[in-house]
Amino acid sequence: MARKDTMKALINRDVSEETAALLLTKYSSLSAISAAGEEELVELGLMEEEARSVLAKIGKRPASSSKVKKEVEEVVPVEPMEEVTNFYQYNEGELRLKAIAERLEIRLPMKIIVDIAARIKNADLSDEICEKLITTANRMYTAHLMDQNESAGVMAAHSIGEPGTQMNMRTFHYAGVANINVTQGLPRLIEIVDARRVPSTPSMNIPLTGTAAEDENVARYVASNIEMTTLLDIARVETDITNMRLIVTPDARKMEARGIDIDELVDRLNKVKAVRGMVTKSGYDVVINSDEPSYKKLQTMFDAIKGAKIKGIDNITRAVLSKTEGSWKIVTEGSNLKEVLKVEGVDADNVMTNSILEVADVLGIEAARNSIIHEAMGTLGEAGLDVDIRHIMLVADLMTNDGYVKAIGRHGVSGKKSSVLARAAFEITAAHLLHAAMVGEVDHLEGVTENIIVGQPVTLGTGAVNLIYTPKKKGDEE
Amino acid sequence: MTVRGITKRIGSIKFSCVSPEEIRKMSATKVITADTYDEEGYPIEMGLMDPHMGVIEPGLRCKTCGCKVDECPGHFGHIDLALPVIHVGFIKDIKMLLESTCCKCGRLMLSEDQIQARRESMERMEELGGGTIEVKNFSKETAKDASGKGVCPYCGAEQIKIKLDKPTTFREIEDNHKLTPKEVRERLERIPDEDLVTLGIEPSTCRPEWMVLTALAVPPVTVRPSITLDSGDRSEDDLTHKLVDVLRINQRLRENRDAGAPQLIVEDLWELLQYHVTTYFDNQTSGIPPARHRSGRPLKTLAQRLKGKEGRFRSNLSGKRVNFSARTVISPDPLLSINEVGVPVIAARELTVPVHVNEHNIEKIREMVARGPTPVPERPYVPGVNYVIRSDGRRIRVTDRNAADVAEGIDIDYTVERQLVDGDVVLFNRQPSLHRMSMMAHRVRIMEGRTFRFNLTDCPPYNADFDGDEMNLHVLQSDEARAEARILMQVQENILSPRYGGPIIGAIHDHITGAYFLTHNNPRFDRFQAMNILFKLGDIEVPEPYIDEATGEPYWTGKQLFSIILPKDFRTTFKANICQNCKVCQKENCEYDAYVKIRDGQLLCGTIDVKGIGNSKGKILDRIARDYGSARAAQFINQVTRLVLGALMNHGFSTGIGDEDIPEEAALQIRNNTQDCIDKVTELVESYQDGTLEQMPGRSLRETLEVSVMGVLGNARDEAGKIAGKHLGMNNPAVIMAKAGARGSMLNLSQMAGCVGQQAVRGERLSRGYWNRTLPHFEKGDLGAYARGFCSNSYKSGLSPTEFFFHAMGGREGLVDTAVRTSRSGYMQRRLVSALEDLKLTSDGTVRNTIGTVVQFKYGEDGVDPARTVRGKAIDLDDLFAEVLGDQADELLHIDTKDVGGDYGSLEKDEMEYIEDEESEEYDDLDMDFDGGGE
Repeated sequence: MARKDTMKALINRDVSEETAALLLTKYSSLSAISAAGEEELVELGLMEEEARSVLAKIGKRPASSSKVKKEVEEVVPVEPMEEVTNFYQYNEGELRLKAIAERLEIRLPMKIIVDIAARIKNADLSDEICEKLITTANRMYTAHLMDQNESAGVMAAHSIGEPGTQMNMRTFHYAGVANINVTQGLPRLIEIVDARRVPSTPSMNIPLTGTAAEDENVARYVASNIEMTTLLDIARVETDITNMRLIVTPDARKMEARGIDIDELVDRLNKVKAVRGMVTKSGYDVVINSDEPSYKKLQTMFDAIKGAKIKGIDNITRAVLSKTEGSWKIVTEGSNLKEVLKVEGVDADNVMTNSILEVADVLGIEAARNSIIHEAMGTLGEAGLDVDIRHIMLVADLMTNDGYVKAIGRHGVSGKKSSVLARAAFEITAAHLLHAAMVGEVDHLEGVTENIIVGQPVTLGTGAVNLIYTPKKKGDEE
Repeated sequence: MTVRGITKRIGSIKFSCVSPEEIRKMSATKVITADTYDEEGYPIEMGLMDPHMGVIEPGLRCKTCGCKVDECPGHFGHIDLALPVIHVGFIKDIKMLLESTCCKCGRLMLSEDQIQARRESMERMEELGGGTIEVKNFSKETAKDASGKGVCPYCGAEQIKIKLDKPTTFREIEDNHKLTPKEVRERLERIPDEDLVTLGIEPSTCRPEWMVLTALAVPPVTVRPSITLDSGDRSEDDLTHKLVDVLRINQRLRENRDAGAPQLIVEDLWELLQYHVTTYFDNQTSGIPPARHRSGRPLKTLAQRLKGKEGRFRSNLSGKRVNFSARTVISPDPLLSINEVGVPVIAARELTVPVHVNEHNIEKIREMVARGPTPVPERPYVPGVNYVIRSDGRRIRVTDRNAADVAEGIDIDYTVERQLVDGDVVLFNRQPSLHRMSMMAHRVRIMEGRTFRFNLTDCPPYNADFDGDEMNLHVLQSDEARAEARILMQVQENILSPRYGGPIIGAIHDHITGAYFLTHNNPRFDRFQAMNILFKLGDIEVPEPYIDEATGEPYWTGKQLFSIILPKDFRTTFKANICQNCKVCQKENCEYDAYVKIRDGQLLCGTIDVKGIGNSKGKILDRIARDYGSARAAQFINQVTRLVLGALMNHGFSTGIGDEDIPEEAALQIRNNTQDCIDKVTELVESYQDGTLEQMPGRSLRETLEVSVMGVLGNARDEAGKIAGKHLGMNNPAVIMAKAGARGSMLNLSQMAGCVGQQAVRGERLSRGYWNRTLPHFEKGDLGAYARGFCSNSYKSGLSPTEFFFHAMGGREGLVDTAVRTSRSGYMQRRLVSALEDLKLTSDGTVRNTIGTVVQFKYGEDGVDPARTVRGKAIDLDDLFAEVLGDQADELLHIDTKDVGGDYGSLEKDEMEYIEDEESEEYDDLDMDFDGGGE
């Protein structure tokens, strides 16, 4: 069982199946592999490069001992960061207002300045009026600021939780014209705050660039490069028991639709491990001769090629074209951001996936934070509920503030609270208390739940102020 | 007078294990007898109910502290266990310790260097602010690294692998030798303190051998009181029952061991003792049957007392029961202010407010006390006094008989518990309390009757209706609490919802209809009518009337009347809900009177409807609440509701089934249209069966059919609605309600008058039921419109039997959905609150949790309070330009005013989804009716 789990863990870490199998011949756990170090893995028959990448992939978990950890750190070369240069460039009007604001020593959020600038761009306003605009805007802005010690968190939790009761449970919703099924409503919202590794209906939205955006045929070609095609999608497979071989009969129409020719198919099949080097073309068919006369082998070969990927990107089960605002885009079922970004013709800057963890893995934590905001706002908006974006920002920031995506709940934010009492009050009461006793934990009663439990004012809002007025007594006067 | 309020705080709470010595030291008595009471009903000495451990019967005194019931907190006793047993709660930790340390010398099986490195990492982790959870995970790894070693690196002893047989037995794998708890304890004793620290255990608070119990603390009697039943029998607490078991087996074990009984018997008894102690701690330990009561009910032992929703933590510590509260049915009262709540006299006589007696109020209070708890005459209501608290803390109950005497004795520094009077601040709440507006402060208004009453505009924040809902009321007991409630929690302070930055309190239902009648096309009101409407508004200035040229009679226009209640310098422009979204907006000359323009507090043109004063959408309300302050907003809401209801009563308004009557020709038109669509569906089905249907990309043939059929039938319903709508006309009451945004939608109307449309389950046409058909009324495999849940009739004309059945199917899904939804969203909210409750805005503008971790550097990226935003925007640009540039702002800036109307909750929706929503909403209402409570 342990082997199976390790295998799964390795594959989850993107280690290829073959490599994983090889590794498992000697090691039974991830920590064992990482403890082994590069040389040992090479000895085992891995390419040096491969070994390094395997170690790097496993290294996501803290390695078993600090010695190994250091090694892993050395193994992974830190890629130099590319400086981002294509920031939003402020236009003249915006810069002018900004300069005025700076002169007046007023600090307004750029968003407000940009909004004002957009309104006055057609008018020729004097500096004086602009000054007046900025000062007035500043007065309004300051009046709208939030009060100190406001319990922003509870407000956000209420604002997101309350409309939950009004949301739809029905998951079915087709995203636009593309007829792709996407989870919506409450289940989706729960999924987002749960930070599930894979959403129940992963989906991508891939805008195209260049000719692909304009020409339907090019777009279709790009889509065929993205949609995963297995052998059974384009061909029939027969087992010829008398001659101990498999006969693959491709469907010409389907082949064409997916842009695959027969040589490519043979090439592809030859890369499948179980039938490596045994595939040959024979007329319109492809024949795979077994190298050993065993029915069992024939069966494994059949199983191996049946699901073999011929073309496209893993996990993307469907890619549908749709046209919005005059340019083509692809909507997919299934998600694989890393690979899709590499595909030619894809507008990589604007590719979206609804898999938040994937965004975190590929683009980093800031992107994941934005992804949470985007997905949550989209879900609420779809249900026709209006929730201020600031609340969702807060949730997203809390979920991502220590560098990786945490769930809202027992295994994430709530389970990591510093207070024993707060954790015990949330879930798994007894375990938390017992552990606290064992390590001699101290609860400093800083949070809300703890203080409610001991019966003290909480440290938010008016309770945050430590000022008590003692009225003078009669005798104290003068 | 002593200073009230909290002057001392508990700084911190430390958790630790108790050593056996400590258990014995703090024990008030040793418990040896399994019996509780003797024949006379007195507790047996050294029994489980020993009076040294506290008292539960009134009159008796605790033998340890000498206090009476309620004064004595109880004292622990102890049981000396004949042989040690393992504490189940720590079983995993014991296993971890046994595996990672040497069985001979007890050292942690890592090299000195490794230990050093681990210790350093751990220290660094704590230095960097790592929480207990991180440290816990780290030490877990340390243990994992150390375990599985064949030989101890220190003493060279060979290690034998250990297996845990759940729940509490350890076994050496090789020779299948069972480790007795005694052996386990010996091994744990050998682990040196330094190694424990490396493993994340603090040896000063918890030596590992303490996890194997040699003495069992017996909780005070007050923790496990026995109940005397009516029959006079005693019923012991579950914990006592369990302790009796432990004591019995312990006794037998000791006797057998001392008598030198065979090893086998001793071991059996030992195991039994282990079982009882295990279930005493946690009766839901997996792997062993739970200990049961004689009736078969599982016992509620220590872990069960703490766990879960009904456990100590969530039920008694995070939530507490309170006095000075009341609960009753609610009903509406449009004449109360939004800040008021009507409290029945009966409730007011029970609920009290403490008043401190001083030289200024002593006379008044004497008078009040003299009236007693039930002053006569009963009407008008005057407050009495229920209790008097003397300066020494003694409480005196005031009765009608002693009232005069008590009043005589009132002195300075007494506290008097006075009954409610008008104007007292109370908290009012309706469950489920989903957001902060579910609990708001109101001013009391004592009223006849037996229900709580409040203004109808307060319904949305509480999500209340009057089909039997009940609400709770809490009377505040201190000046600090009252001040805070008044400033922060009063209804008027919560008009703007922090969820979307718009008003959550505003005109609803009939108010909107009334406003429509008052302002639409500017009707005239003669003196009688106008005064009839205005007299409820109180202190207002009645404007100069117009004079009718024909008759010479004075009259007021509706817009004029509405302008009375607007602030004098109010200005705004927006489009009303009745706006038809014409291609080119005619602005002031709008033929539907939908362009609202207010200048200098005068409504110049336009109809006031849901977009003007409605809850969540009301633009005027929104502006007043934000720019003129909450008190002005409250006044405006109070006045506007009275005004529009006056107008509505002047006009008269009702709707009924007759409003959905459509002329025969329209009905025919709808029938024809529907029939066309059904024919189209038949064609589609035929082409599907022939295989001539063109497949949509990425869909199967069948899915293609379903999608197109749904489209065609959706059209059929829309078309029917359109035809019906055309014939209903703008003067139809139901249409007025829908268009003005008061209640219902055109979709509801089209379903009533036109065609109910396709019924759906899980977003698809109905398909389940019999084999290959939905009902036996259809042929097998029939894919036509009627066979798959299309209802061509309207609610008015009545559904056919099959249609009725299909409609019930769709309806049932809605019901199930609601039931599932409430629990799921409730849990999500609990998790959200638990995760976010500690976040607050600090004085440097960052959002941090209570231990100081920064979550956001600037709240919401601009530091703006969502409740003060303008539809989520930090400032209102229209407002800004209007203020700086004046009325001609738009012209000056060369902008076409697009939509300047406020629109909070209603984004455009997909048609199909829309109808589903409407349907489920309808069933929500039904649900309420059946429940009669709506909770």
